[in-house]
Amino acid sequence: MRNEVTLNLRGQVPSWLASPFKTLQQWLRASGISGQLLCLLLVAVVFTAGTQGKFLSWANIQVILNLAAIPAIIAIGLHQVVVLGGIDLSVEGVVALCVVVVGLLAHNQFNSNNVGIWIVPITLALGGAAGLVNGLLNTKLKIPSFITTLGMSWVLWGLAVFVSRGQTIPLVDNPLSGLINGSVLGVPNLALVALALLTAVQLAQDRTRFGRYLYAIGGDEVLSGQAGVKVDRTKIIVFTIAGMFYGLSALFLAVKLNSAQAITGNNLLFPAITAVAVGGVALTGGIGGAKNAALGALIVTALNDGLILVDVNPYAQEAVNGVVLVIAVALTIDRKKLGFIK
Amino acid sequence: MQETKNGSSTKELVLELRRITKSYPGVIALDGVNLAIYGNEIVGLVGENGAGKSTLMKILIGNVQPDQGSYQINGQAVRLRDPAHAIRLGVGMVFQEGSLIPNLSIMENLFLCHETEFERFGVLPKKAMREAARTALATVKVVEDLDTPVADTSPAVRQMVEIARLLWLSRLYHQKNPVLILDEPTTVLTEQERETLFSILHEITKQASIILISHRLQEIVENSDRIVVLKDGKNVTDFSSENASIPEIEHLMVGHTFSADRYRENEQIEPGKEAVIKVENLSKKQKFEPISFTVGAGEILSLVGLVGSGKEALCRCITGLEKPDSGSVTVGGKRVTAGFPSEAVRSGVGHVPVDRRNDGLALGMTVADNLNLLVLDQLKTAQLMSPIREKRNALDWIKECRIKTPSPSTLCANLSGGNQQKVVIAKWLTSQVRFLVLDHPTRGVDVGAKEEIYRLIRKLASDGVGMIVMCDTLEEDIGLCSRMLIMKDGRLVREIGCPPFRKPSPSEIIGSIV
Repeated sequence: MRNEVTLNLRGQVPSWLASPFKTLQQWLRASGISGQLLCLLLVAVVFTAGTQGKFLSWANIQVILNLAAIPAIIAIGLHQVVVLGGIDLSVEGVVALCVVVVGLLAHNQFNSNNVGIWIVPITLALGGAAGLVNGLLNTKLKIPSFITTLGMSWVLWGLAVFVSRGQTIPLVDNPLSGLINGSVLGVPNLALVALALLTAVQLAQDRTRFGRYLYAIGGDEVLSGQAGVKVDRTKIIVFTIAGMFYGLSALFLAVKLNSAQAITGNNLLFPAITAVAVGGVALTGGIGGAKNAALGALIVTALNDGLILVDVNPYAQEAVNGVVLVIAVALTIDRKKLGFIK
Repeated sequence: MQETKNGSSTKELVLELRRITKSYPGVIALDGVNLAIYGNEIVGLVGENGAGKSTLMKILIGNVQPDQGSYQINGQAVRLRDPAHAIRLGVGMVFQEGSLIPNLSIMENLFLCHETEFERFGVLPKKAMREAARTALATVKVVEDLDTPVADTSPAVRQMVEIARLLWLSRLYHQKNPVLILDEPTTVLTEQERETLFSILHEITKQASIILISHRLQEIVENSDRIVVLKDGKNVTDFSSENASIPEIEHLMVGHTFSADRYRENEQIEPGKEAVIKVENLSKKQKFEPISFTVGAGEILSLVGLVGSGKEALCRCITGLEKPDSGSVTVGGKRVTAGFPSEAVRSGVGHVPVDRRNDGLALGMTVADNLNLLVLDQLKTAQLMSPIREKRNALDWIKECRIKTPSPSTLCANLSGGNQQKVVIAKWLTSQVRFLVLDHPTRGVDVGAKEEIYRLIRKLASDGVGMIVMCDTLEEDIGLCSRMLIMKDGRLVREIGCPPFRKPSPSEIIGSIV
């Protein structure tokens, strides 16, 4: 009773190369990001050729890393909900509200509030609270996550516009601004933060009980419940963590732009979902981790950066993104599992 | 205390059920059943479908609570809350459909929900877990890579992982003599894997007892120490398998012969010469091998075989729900385009599915809407649906088929199971159906409604409709059909004529099935 799924490379690769090549291939196969690395390589090759090497210049790489950081943080939060087999569409609303709250509580030109560094826990708590409500609605009231989070997004968006009266709130001397706009050895700090979060979440997924339960629920919710997994609790925690990641992104966005307004949240959902799908997180649940989500964000950002560099029409760029999303989902969806869905 | 096959040692009683009774609305599933399991033995549990095996198993693992009776484990009375509780007391089950999470690896599945055993400062140590996993899997001789997702392994490996998990858990909870229940473990295995399974099971009896449920009597007789036979929710007997013979067990399983003409044999007609459906060399890879047969006008053909014999897939191919790999189906001289239910219906092939609530009826629609579904074109006046004609047609068929409904505009969801089934059959009666597949037409239907359904089936036959039936019991199959085809492992193994009042007995047939 041996598993038949082993690759026989003999006859294709010279023997002196077969051994290291095989190890590398096995590692890539097990890592679940081989396709994504290939994708990134393809993007790099095509645009480097198309821009006479400008795409791979250090300056451009810095731009890409800087632009990819916030989508990556959002995607790292969002993908865990997807791994559970759900979806989180509340990103834009949560970010809008958090941004506006940052604007009103941090040192700003609108009022005399100044909570200083306390703005970090406040935005985390606010985002987390929104996620908690998503989780409770999803598990306790048994409303599909698609509807819960879509509704939540519009409610919070409305609230954000109401609280900010639809205006832009300029920030003054934010204590975080040095950190967020700075860099270490040329690597943008935001990218380092994203990398740290990626490492933490990936470790939790690989090496803790929580991670095990996350994937068990994504694989089969009913069987996991029977085995003793606390399904509802895990789901609520995942939604809450996702909300906290959105809150953090909102804070970074506000500080980066040095102003706060509700529309800062706009156009964040689509890139995040694309990143998750392109990264290889199956929308059917149970497959893909934080590294996939972050890599997906990097690929999408690099692609868009490249399209700008080679001067593609902006409308055509949006169409390209749409095509990329659909192809990514078509490639990553677990069709075996769909067979069971009526 | 009792002597076993090996004869050498006397064994301890580990688990005992006494006078267990369980009834569901309308049925007594178990009626005063006793079961005793001793240490280090394999007990074979046999019985027909519906004999109460599955209910008994559910009670053993705490999925179902008995209405009456006592349950003792190691001499202590227990009341199980759920399967997790049963596992803590050393009773676990390997289900036919499996309970492993497909995307998790073998190791992750082994320890799922018991990771705390390994946890160090909130982190799971890979090395220690790997070692424990290897030890656990060594008992069942699995040499698979621990990180392989379970979905990529063979059914045999999955089964072994489940067994290893149960053994590991029983050790975790300090159970000295766990009881493992295996439900039809061999149906998904190859011949060789089957042998491996039994050699491992014999090995495991050093540390556990096993309850083996199987339709394959041969392997029960060969591998168990004791055989328990259930029939109609009652114990028939319990005997050592040393002096058991298969025909004897078959007789005990099937039991009595029936007398009254429940199946309206006097209405059974001589099938017409002309074939309504001609199946030629139809095959589907891994489901059934090329098969050819015809069904005459008014003929009732019974298709008999175990789950996995290929009969379900065959019917799905005929009704267009599945696309066959080769062969053709011809109805009334015209070849039916394969793989499209709509094409099958258009050429006059009807289907009464086993799951009528989901597949057979639009439950949220009224009785009239369901009845008229296939004949909407005939109920038009000037190209528009005529409510008057719709109602008239519905009322005609409600009367004809004796459907008990307050009005034609009652929702089908509000009818009883038997009356729902009558609506499904009546729907096909209204259309010019030539051939009908009846998949367990009387499942979940009470006795009175059963008679009505038999009457409708006879009526369909006298109207010249050819039918394939697959029934809940062998008796029903024999009673209804005029010819019987027996399938086993995807092949047609036997054809038996069943002329009225000269029908074969179930015990003559069961040998070809199992």
